[in-house]
Amino acid sequence: MESHIEDASEYIPETYVPKAASHGTKELWKTFYLLLFITVIDFIIYFSWPAGWPIMGRNIVFICLGIVKAFYIVGTFMHLKHEKMFMILMLILPALAFIGMLIFGLLHEGNAISTY
Amino acid sequence: MDISIFVPYFVPLKISINMSSETQVLDTQPQWAGGRSPFNVSYGKLMMWIFLLSDAFTFSCLLVAYGAIRFSYSGDLFTPWPDPSLVFNHFPFAHGLHLPLLFVSLMTFILILSSVTMVLAVEAGARNEHKTVVKYLLYTTIGGSAFLGCQAWEWSQFIGEGATLQENWFGFTTEASKKAHALGLFDHVHWDRATDRTPGPVPFASLFFIVTGFHGFHVLSGVVILIITYINAIFGTYKRRGHYEMVEKVGLYWHFVDLVWVFVFTFYYLI
Repeated sequence: MESHIEDASEYIPETYVPKAASHGTKELWKTFYLLLFITVIDFIIYFSWPAGWPIMGRNIVFICLGIVKAFYIVGTFMHLKHEKMFMILMLILPALAFIGMLIFGLLHEGNAISTY
Repeated sequence: MDISIFVPYFVPLKISINMSSETQVLDTQPQWAGGRSPFNVSYGKLMMWIFLLSDAFTFSCLLVAYGAIRFSYSGDLFTPWPDPSLVFNHFPFAHGLHLPLLFVSLMTFILILSSVTMVLAVEAGARNEHKTVVKYLLYTTIGGSAFLGCQAWEWSQFIGEGATLQENWFGFTTEASKKAHALGLFDHVHWDRATDRTPGPVPFASLFFIVTGFHGFHVLSGVVILIITYINAIFGTYKRRGHYEMVEKVGLYWHFVDLVWVFVFTFYYLI
């Protein structure tokens, strides 16, 4: 597998590997501390959610924090934000569409599943 | 030599073919005209992303099914879903201490840390620093194995308390039993995990084993792949190849495993 090609005749699509780009470790550690911080916030919210407040609100907070964590893991750790926009959208949009569809179905038809 | 042509979708309208052989000819070709990867990623990496997409759907289906089953238990006196912070309040070497969710937060920390060491290995691979890659691959493998060990301990604790795929002995929570006593119902029923065990919703146990088991299976296969990659890295396979693309691909898989854990632990333990 050649990672640097001199001539187009050397290009083999199945084994072509582009030159790897190094982005530095500073951003990675920043992301780690952010993930750690959000997880700590998760636990603080879990144990100190005021008694009278609706639990659905707490759950929504957890899900939103989870989505923030997901964006940072996928964007920074998996380097998706350094890829071409078409590829990013190609992966993210179907994922959001189908997972959103599943959640939507759950919310609307979920009570048809009876465990009694 | 300049040629102006009309090509639709994401391509430049003008391509210039550089006649000298020193520059990389590929940079001047239109993106979608074939013969190259339109995203400038290798075939293996793109296929790994697509596999992770499919695996994301699988885990989403599992978690949505978990949501449907879990929320069909209304949480009242007679159909209480156990409170995970009351069930999972153990810690190794701290027998009898009530430490709610501390162990699962340790597991999350271990997995996130292993994710960081993995991406540091990938970065070192991009800079072609062989020794650093090997070092961080080892740390990641150790982190993954530590997570598996923790998960095994958690399973053994839960199974030791009688949970199987068909049994769950965490019936009434302390709150429910207090309410029951206040109402004068079930005077002899209380929830003390050491002595009185009331059968609770079976899906609490079976879903725990299935969801964490499926995720743990992914961690296990990730650790196996990491060990193979580590051995390859030590033997200099990637140094000879000239690039550490394999480390990148394994890194993608490992970060996906971490991502799924974030959601599994949020949905099962926190929500």
